[in-house]
Amino acid sequence: MKAPFRMLAAALATLAIAVPAYAAKDVVFAVASTFTTTDPYDANDTLSQAMAKSFYEGLFGFDRNMKLIPVLAESYDVSKDGLTYTIKLKHGIKFHDGTDFNAEAVKANFDRVTNPDNKLKRYGLYSIIAKTEVVDPYTAKITLKEPFSAFINDLAHPSGVMISPAALKQYGSKDIAFHPVGTGPFKFVEWKATDYLKVAKNENYWKKGFPKVDTITWKPVVDNNSRAAMMQTGEAQFTFPVPYELADVLKAKPNLELVAAPSIVLRYLSMNTQQKPFDNPKVRQAIAYAINKQALAKVAFAGYAEPAEGVVPQAVEYSVKLGPWPYDVAKAKQLMKEAGYPNGFETELWSAYNHSTAQKVSQFLQQQLQQIGIRTKITLLEAGQRVQQVESWQDPKTAPVRLYYVGWSASTGEADWALRPLLFGDSWPPKLFNTAYYKNDKVDADIKDALATSDKTEKAKLYKDAQETIWHDAPWAPLVTEKLLSAHSKNLSGVYVMPDASFEFSGIDLK
Amino acid sequence: MTAYIAKRLLGLLPTLVLVGFLVFMLVHLLPGDPARLAAGQDATPETVELVRKDLGLDKPLPQQFLRFVNGVLHWDFGRSISTKRPVATEIGDRFMPTFWLTVWSMLWSVLFGMTIGIMSAVWRNRWPDRVGMTLAVSGISFPAFALGMVLMQIFAVDLNWLPTVGNDTWRHYILPSITLGAAVAAIMARFTRSSFVDILGEDFIRTARAKGLDERRVVIKHALRNALIPVVTMMGLQFGFLLGGSIVVEKVFNWPGLGRLLVDAVDMRDYPVIQALVLLFSLEFILINLIVDVLYGLINPTIRYR
Repeated sequence: MKAPFRMLAAALATLAIAVPAYAAKDVVFAVASTFTTTDPYDANDTLSQAMAKSFYEGLFGFDRNMKLIPVLAESYDVSKDGLTYTIKLKHGIKFHDGTDFNAEAVKANFDRVTNPDNKLKRYGLYSIIAKTEVVDPYTAKITLKEPFSAFINDLAHPSGVMISPAALKQYGSKDIAFHPVGTGPFKFVEWKATDYLKVAKNENYWKKGFPKVDTITWKPVVDNNSRAAMMQTGEAQFTFPVPYELADVLKAKPNLELVAAPSIVLRYLSMNTQQKPFDNPKVRQAIAYAINKQALAKVAFAGYAEPAEGVVPQAVEYSVKLGPWPYDVAKAKQLMKEAGYPNGFETELWSAYNHSTAQKVSQFLQQQLQQIGIRTKITLLEAGQRVQQVESWQDPKTAPVRLYYVGWSASTGEADWALRPLLFGDSWPPKLFNTAYYKNDKVDADIKDALATSDKTEKAKLYKDAQETIWHDAPWAPLVTEKLLSAHSKNLSGVYVMPDASFEFSGIDLK
Repeated sequence: MTAYIAKRLLGLLPTLVLVGFLVFMLVHLLPGDPARLAAGQDATPETVELVRKDLGLDKPLPQQFLRFVNGVLHWDFGRSISTKRPVATEIGDRFMPTFWLTVWSMLWSVLFGMTIGIMSAVWRNRWPDRVGMTLAVSGISFPAFALGMVLMQIFAVDLNWLPTVGNDTWRHYILPSITLGAAVAAIMARFTRSSFVDILGEDFIRTARAKGLDERRVVIKHALRNALIPVVTMMGLQFGFLLGGSIVVEKVFNWPGLGRLLVDAVDMRDYPVIQALVLLFSLEFILINLIVDVLYGLINPTIRYR
């Protein structure tokens, strides 16, 4: 094609501007799927939101260990009744288009997402906001419809970013996704949907001395082997995820570093507690005893996972360490006998995913459950089937789901989003994802009360009680917490995979 | 012949209408709720309803169909459910890369395949035939994804001669077109061989030889032209298939192609994209068939169009 000509032009251009002594620092990230949007308020995938951190920042955020930190906010105060949040903002920050960042901008952003007419996918996360007011240019006041103690975590969620109000006005709520303008370390350059998304250094970034690289090119490459190949040829400097089967190959390369980071991705086997025989806690406990989680981590996750230590992963705030649930087949058989199923029974085992790891997990579970006489029929659900058979099933009484292998990552980093969608009595499908159809009044009260109080010790106590009750009731057999495998070239530093599989790259540098 | 082509083109319309209707009904029969899928795992029921309205999926089915037909008539295929970009842009971005990859793959595989086929037929059951057919059988049996990965490992990772993924320069086209064309070359070789073997046993070839023509002229002038008819049919079919994109090659080489677009669209129940792609693929096949029919006439002037 036009390549020779382009190369000549490039060579001439290089000659013409070859004066500066330093080389441009261009970094390529090879990631696993295409971006759905650049608008974090309209994104439901972690990857698109992680990418949007290049140009957007929120009032609060998470550091690489999921610890909540203020970003554009200076500090905040909560009223006694837990309804009003007064947020002080940092001074002197400008959006990429020169607009000042101030309380007006905060108001514009929250007014946008809380307006149902804008039909944003993250509406649910912010619908708790009743109104946002400007107190003075650097103080915003947010009033909630009801007390919601995890609210600051919602603000720190990667979707809660500040978009330039001028740009929002110029492009409108829909088209802003193609012209992102934020306060972040990088400015948006171009998005070729089939190929890459490129961002370049924001020279006027408010954190002096950052960012330390000139450009980042986000390149979605679906095939695992191809991403690994790009790392080996140096076409990419960072990649996530690395599939388990390629871990050893990349580990052996002298110029690459393989990183296994802890995660808040919990994998569990939920059991439909409204249906026989899973309405009997003894059966559920027996199932939890019958699975060798250590072996599961080795077999299906190539060792890059750890037996789950509780209902909520350890990196999530207010989590309690309760396990791992011991592997004890004798005990499991005993419990099955007590429950009246000495010879076991037949049932369905569904997996929420149909990739090869899920296949291995399902087969492993099938084999383990056979030990106590439970014969299972495996079905790996494809996304559409999953929605139809599980997530949007209207009548709980007829729900066909029995044993269900699935996972969850509480992206707000707080116990509420790890418990309420999955185990609250009012969260049965189709509302949320309580696929165990679990309901325990004590747990429900704990979760509700914890949201209503802003006293941290009180919250910790309530969440501890809830988790212990759930652990004992065993609506799930907790399986493993995954590790997140990424690889980067040795000359790249400051890029981390966070426990929720988002990225933290504010300190990115290339030697 | 112009009248013939015009008639065929006119006949295209009812076919497309039928295809459009069928595909609309079929995608709506797929299990799974696109609004739920688009809203994502964390979404509350209210959010799902918002998304449903946003996508226009809350309207009754006949109304949605009318909107679809009306859109198509105005050359507007709607917006993709998952990316919200116009479907025409989504397809447009991928059509040319798919088209050029198809053209390059077809070009080398047809030349290579036909050469091997002719040589195998002429030296039938001798060593060129054995070598050629061994190659052809390997070409069909070697899975494309494995071939792609092996080629990438050798030429991109180990030797560092060619880039791994992307479609920016002509160098990016080499590995994917070899991968994509391998199976086609093999099929072409086998097809050409069998067609040629038949023709070489015909009376007019014996006549040509008997009147003292040298073997090269017999093969190239007399046999080739007549053997070409089934080969061209096969070429048209293969071309159509390749234009539909190859998921495997597109995945391995991260090629912005139509195959992956279709598979992703089916996964996300992205109705507008599925509908437009199926219409496009049908149109492509109809046009290719027409071109093949016209080519028949050029190859063999005794064929008449009515």
